[in-house]
Amino acid sequence: MFTDLSMVVFTVFAQMSVGAFIVLGAVQVYARVQGGRSAEDVDRVTDPALYAVGVTLALGLIASIFHLGTPMNAINVLRHVDSSWLSREIAFGLAFAGLGFVFAATQYFKWGSAALRQALAALTALVGVGLVVSMSMIYASLDAVPAWSTWVTPAQFAITTLLLGSLAVGAAFMGTVMWRRRQAADEEAEEPTTDAGDLETISTSLKGIAVASIVLLGAAFVVIPLHLNELSQGGAAAVASAEVFSGAMFALRLALVFLGAGLLGFFVYRFAARMESNPQPLAVVATVAFGLVFVGEFIGRSLFYESMTRIGM
Amino acid sequence: MTAISDHPTSSDASPGGISRRSFLKWSAVAGGGVALVSGTRQLGLLPGAGLSASAQEEASGVETIWSSCNVNCGSRCPLRMQVADGRVVRVLPDNTGDDALGSQQVRACVRGLSYRQRLYSPDRIKTPMRRVGERGSGDWEEISWEEAYDEIADSMKRIIEEYGNEALYLNYGTGTLGGTITSSWPPISTPFSRLFSLAGGYLNHYADYSTAQIQGAVQYHYGGWIGSNSLDDAKNANLVVMFGNNPFETRMSGGGEIYVSQQTREQAKVKTIIIDPRYSDTAMGLGDEWVALRPGTDSALVAGMAHVMITEDLVDQEFLDRCCQGYDDEHLPDGVPAGSSYKAYILGDGPDGEAKTPEWAAPITGVPAGTITRLAREIATTKPVLINQGWGPQRHVNGENQARAIFTLCALTGNVGIPGGGTGEREGSYGLPLANPFVIDNPVEASIPVFAWTDAVEKGPEMTATNAGVRGVDRLEVPIKFILNYASNALVNQHGDINRTIELLKDDSKCEMIVNVENRMTVSARYADIVLPDTTNAEQMDLASQGSAGNMGYAILASQVIEPLYDCRTVYEMCTELAKRLDIEEEFTEGRTQEEWIRHILDASREDIPDLPSFEDFKEMGIWREPNPPEVGYVPLQDFREDPEEHPLPTPSGRIEIFSSELWEMAETWELPEGQRITALPEHLSMQESAEVARSDDTYPLQCIAHHVKQRTHSTYGHIPWLEEAHPHVAWIHPWDAEERGIANDEKMYVFNDRGRIRVSARVTNRIAPGTVSVPHGAWYEPDEQGVDVGGSPNTLTSWLQSPIHKGNAQHTMLVQVERA
Amino acid sequence: MATQLGFYFDQTRCNGCKACQVACKDKHDLPVGVTWRRVAEHGGGSWQSDGDTFSPSVFATYMSTACNHCERPVCAEVCPTTAMHQRDDGVVAVDDDLCVGCRYCEWACPYSAPQYNAELGSMTKCDLCTDYREEGLEPACVAGCPSRALDWGPIDELRERYGDVDAIEPLPDPAITEPRLVITPHRDAQMTGSGTGTIKNPLEV
Repeated sequence: MFTDLSMVVFTVFAQMSVGAFIVLGAVQVYARVQGGRSAEDVDRVTDPALYAVGVTLALGLIASIFHLGTPMNAINVLRHVDSSWLSREIAFGLAFAGLGFVFAATQYFKWGSAALRQALAALTALVGVGLVVSMSMIYASLDAVPAWSTWVTPAQFAITTLLLGSLAVGAAFMGTVMWRRRQAADEEAEEPTTDAGDLETISTSLKGIAVASIVLLGAAFVVIPLHLNELSQGGAAAVASAEVFSGAMFALRLALVFLGAGLLGFFVYRFAARMESNPQPLAVVATVAFGLVFVGEFIGRSLFYESMTRIGM
Repeated sequence: MTAISDHPTSSDASPGGISRRSFLKWSAVAGGGVALVSGTRQLGLLPGAGLSASAQEEASGVETIWSSCNVNCGSRCPLRMQVADGRVVRVLPDNTGDDALGSQQVRACVRGLSYRQRLYSPDRIKTPMRRVGERGSGDWEEISWEEAYDEIADSMKRIIEEYGNEALYLNYGTGTLGGTITSSWPPISTPFSRLFSLAGGYLNHYADYSTAQIQGAVQYHYGGWIGSNSLDDAKNANLVVMFGNNPFETRMSGGGEIYVSQQTREQAKVKTIIIDPRYSDTAMGLGDEWVALRPGTDSALVAGMAHVMITEDLVDQEFLDRCCQGYDDEHLPDGVPAGSSYKAYILGDGPDGEAKTPEWAAPITGVPAGTITRLAREIATTKPVLINQGWGPQRHVNGENQARAIFTLCALTGNVGIPGGGTGEREGSYGLPLANPFVIDNPVEASIPVFAWTDAVEKGPEMTATNAGVRGVDRLEVPIKFILNYASNALVNQHGDINRTIELLKDDSKCEMIVNVENRMTVSARYADIVLPDTTNAEQMDLASQGSAGNMGYAILASQVIEPLYDCRTVYEMCTELAKRLDIEEEFTEGRTQEEWIRHILDASREDIPDLPSFEDFKEMGIWREPNPPEVGYVPLQDFREDPEEHPLPTPSGRIEIFSSELWEMAETWELPEGQRITALPEHLSMQESAEVARSDDTYPLQCIAHHVKQRTHSTYGHIPWLEEAHPHVAWIHPWDAEERGIANDEKMYVFNDRGRIRVSARVTNRIAPGTVSVPHGAWYEPDEQGVDVGGSPNTLTSWLQSPIHKGNAQHTMLVQVERA
Repeated sequence: MATQLGFYFDQTRCNGCKACQVACKDKHDLPVGVTWRRVAEHGGGSWQSDGDTFSPSVFATYMSTACNHCERPVCAEVCPTTAMHQRDDGVVAVDDDLCVGCRYCEWACPYSAPQYNAELGSMTKCDLCTDYREEGLEPACVAGCPSRALDWGPIDELRERYGDVDAIEPLPDPAITEPRLVITPHRDAQMTGSGTGTIKNPLEV
C-alpha cells in the first residue's frame, strides 16, 4: 500500500488541479451567461480557488520529483516527446503549470482584457485536458499491464479529475465564505461579508457540483464493475491484479467515495438552497464531502498502482 | 578385473577397482560444514564490486588464477578467479575442454559461481577464539594463535594421558572436500588424522552420512562397493530405471553427472523411468515417466514387481541360479530352513505367509497395483535395463533393505554385469588414481558407526560390536572426550535431532574439549570451546581430485589466489604448530611445506598416471584431463557374470547374496532396539516412523524427507545472498495437504514433531507425493526465543534413530505435522 | 541494418539451477534484488487418488530469460529520456548519463529486462555482455550454463539453426515486443496463453 506514494500524490493532485481549473471555468461561464454577472464579480468568487489550484499543482509536481531515482537528470524526460507518453505528460504538465501561472498572474494584476484572459483560461484548460489524457495514456498504452491497458484507465482518470475538481472547488468556495465571515467577525464589520450576488453564484455552483458529483459517482460505479469483469476474463496477470480490488482497502475506498460524492453530495444540494441564512452546514458538508472523496480517491490511486501485475515473467 | 573395494568407507562412489588409490570421494550427503551466524547478513554488498567492467579491463593488475570449489556435492569444478589489488573481483567457470563426453568442460554450478560471496562472507571467522560462556552461548574471547595451540596441545596430552587415544575423535565433516592437504573427509586423509595418528591415534568411524545404509547393504549383498554402470553407459540400455537418483539436483557441475546423463540421453534417447517421492528436476529433464511413491517404500515396490515377474515367469532364472545365493529355496546355504528364500518371501511361502502381490504393495507405496504390474512387465521384458539408485532410498531406518531390494531387482532381471545394465547401486564413474603419500594409518583399531558419535560421547563404554556396530574392538573403552571438528557442520546442524544434540554438547563434563576449525561461523562452530579460523581454498594452494564425471578423469591444481584474509591460517600450518607442541613436527611435515607436499603428491601420482603434467605446467593449465575414449563406460561385474567361479565376489558364498549368510547370523546375535529387525533377505520392513505408521498416526500423519537443494551443498554455501535469492529455502508440500491446512504457496508454515519445530516457507507443489513434505537439507538451525527453528533445518525434526545393520543415519525417516504459521 | 543479436534457450536442458543468473550477477556486480537473468518454474497438472494409492499427471518446466533485445523494444519506446535505446546491433542498453530512474521501462517490459538499481538511482539491464563480446568472449550467462542450454548470436542464424519458437509459457505474447529469442521447447512446454499452468516460484522472478 502506498508504495508509489509520490506517483499517487502527483497524479491525484495534478488531476484535481486540472479538474478544479475546468470547474472554475464552468462557474465563470455559467455565472456570466446564465447569472448575468460581470467578470469582476465572478472573479471575486473564483480567484481564491484559482490560486489554491496553483498551489496544489505545484505540490503535485514536486511530489513527482521524488519518484525519480536520479532527479538531477529530470530535464531529460522531455527528450522523447515524439514517442513517450511520459515525456508528453511532463510537457503538458509544465505547459499547464506555466499557462496557469500566467493566467493567475493576469487575474491578480488584471492584466489584459477579460476576453484575452478568457482565451488564456480556455487554452490552459485545454492543455490541462491534454495533461490528463497523456497521463492516462502512460498507463493505458502498456500492453504488459492488463489492469492498466484498458479504456478504464482514461475513464477513471477523467472521473477523478472532474469529481475531485468539483468537490475541491465546492470546498474552496465555502472555505472562502467562512474565512471571510470569520475575518469580518474579527473586524466587527457591519457589512455582509460576501455580497448576495456572490452567495447566489456560490449556491448555484454548489448545486451544480452536487449534481455533478452524484453523476460522476454513478459513472464510477459503472466503470468499476466493468473493469473487474474485464480483469476476470483476462489471463493470470489480470486475475492477480483483480485481487487488489477485493480487500478491505478497496471496500473503504468505495465507501468513502460513495459517502462523500453520493450522500454528502445530496446534502450539499439540499443545504445549498439555504446557505444564505446559514452557510455553516453547507461549508461543513462540502468540506467533509471533499475530504472523504479525496481520501477515497487517494486510496483508489494507491490500489491502481498496486494492481500493476505484468504479464510474462 | 572385479572392481570391488574392501574398504567401503574409503570408496563410496568411485568404482573401487579403478581408483582404489585415490582418496578422492564424493559422498553426497549430510556433512558439509559451513557457516553462519551473527546477524549481519550480506545484503548486496559486493566486496570487490568497486571495479566496473570497463575499469576492470583498464586496470593493469587484473590477473586470472585457477582455483577450485572443494565441497561435498559429488562434482568438483575448477574456478578461474580474477584478482585485482589482492581481492577476487570475478569468479569464472572453466573455459577449457569442450562439449564432448570424455573431455567436457567442467563448468561450475550456481554455487561455485557465487564463491566470491562465500570468500568475503561477513560470517568469516577472523581470529582464534575461546568460549567464555556455556557452550553455544555465543560469548567468545579472542585469543592469540600461540595461546590456542598451547591450549589444544595441552588438552590433547591431558586427555590421552587420562583416557587414552580412543577418547580423541575426528568428527565427520565434508566442508572441505577433494583437496589433498586441505581435505576434511574421509577422516583418514585429513591432516588432523596424520597429526593424531602420529600422536598415538584416535577413535575411527566408518561409513558416512551420505551412504551409511547402502554401504552396509553392498557389504552383505556384493561383498563391497561396486557402483552401478556409469550414466554414459545408458546409451547401451533400452530402458533406464532410477530409484531416488537425482543427478540434475545433486550432481550439478557442467562436467558432472547431469551433463553426462543429459548428453547421453540426447544421443541415445533411451526411455527413462524415475521412481521418487518428488518430481525431481531429473524426472523433469531426464525422465519419460515418473512413478511417485511414499518415502521408504522402494523395497515394497520391488517386492510387488518381483511377484509379477516370478508368477509370470519373467525372471532370469539362469542368472539367478548361476550367480546368486538365496533367490529360491534350492539356492539357500546349508542349514537354512526351506521357505527362507526371496522367492518364498515374495510368494508368501515364507514365515510371514503373505504374498507380496502388487495389491499388497499398492497401499504401502501409494503406487496403484496396475502401475506396479505394468512396470514389472516392462522392466522384466526389456533388455538390457540400466537400474540404479541414488542415496535417498537408503537414508531410512530400513535403508539397508531398501538398497538391497533394488540390487535384487537387477539380479531378478539379469541386468548385472552387462553393458546397458546395472547393479542397482549408484552410478559408477571413472576416477584418476592420484596417490596420496600424505596419508598415514591410524594405530587405533576401534571404530564406531559415523552417526553413533553422540552415543559414544554419552555412553561410549556401553557400546559393543553387537549392540552398536563397534568394529576393531568388542567394546569401547572410554567415551569420546575430545572432538576435533574440521570443516564439519555435523557436530550440530547436520546431525540428527539438533535440540537433543545441543543438550548433550552443553554438558562439558561429557565431551571435555571441542575444537572447531572452520572459515565461517557455522551452527556447529557455535558449540566449540576453541574456534580456529581456517583459510578457504582460494587462500592456499592444493591439488584437487576430480568429481564424478562419467568417463572422464581429471584433476585440478588450485593455486593460491589471494593472501589469507584476517588472521586466518591454513590447516597445514595449524597441524604443524600443534605437532611442534606434541614433539612430532618432523614426522608430521617430513620437512615439506604445503607446496612441497603437493609437488611430492604429483610426483608420486605420476607412477600410475605417467602423463600427469609437471607442477609448473599444471599450475598454468589449472585443470588436466585424462583423455578417455567415450565408448568405454563403466560396467562392473562383467568378469564375475562371465565366470563366478573364477571371479567370485568377496561374500561368504562368492555369489550375489540375495540371502545374506552374515545377516542371517546377525539377525540372531545382534541386540537391536525395540521394533527393529535384521533380515537375511531384502524384505520390506516397516519400522519406526515409516510410511505405514504415518497413515495410522493422527498426531504426526506426514512423512518428512529432506531433499538436496541447489542453494547449498549440504550446509556449505548457506546464507550466501545470491544463492538465497536464487534458491530460497522453501519446504515442499502437496496441494491436498496444504489445502487441508489452509496453507498457500510462499506462506509460512510450521513443521513439527516431539523433537522440534521449524518455521519455513511453503512451496505448495504437485511435484511431491501426497502425505509427504520435504524440507530442504542443510538449512542452518536458528532458534528464536520460543525455540522455534526459524532457519528451518530439517535436523530439528530428525532423530538419532539408526538403521539396524550399519547403524546409519535414518534422516529421511521422520513423521511430522504441519500447520499454518 | 547491421546484424541483429539475440538469445537461444534450450528448455530441454534447463534444470533451473540459475548458474546463468549468478554468473550474470558476478559479472556485473549486481546486488540482491537486481537480477538481469531470471529463471521461472512453470507447472500444472493434477493428481488422482484411489483408496491408498495416488497417480500424478503433472508437468513442470523452467524458463530462463534475460533481455531479448526485441525487434520492438517497448522499453525504449516509452523511455522519456531516450536513455533506453537500441544499438545498431539490436542490443538494447541504458545510457546512464540520461536515465532519470523513473522506472517506466520496467512497467512496459513483459520480460522484466530493465531493472532498477536503487544504489545507482537508474535503470540497468542486460547488454549481452558487450565488453566480453568485444574481447571475443561469450556473454557470462552463456559461458556459465553447466548444461549448455544458452546460446547467443545473430538472430537470423539462431533461427536458422534452432527454429523460431518464442511463445512458451510463462513468456508473454511475442507480438507485444517481437523478442529476438529462440527456444527449443521442453516436451511439457505450454504455448503462451494456454492458461494450463502457473509460475510456481513467483517470488524468484
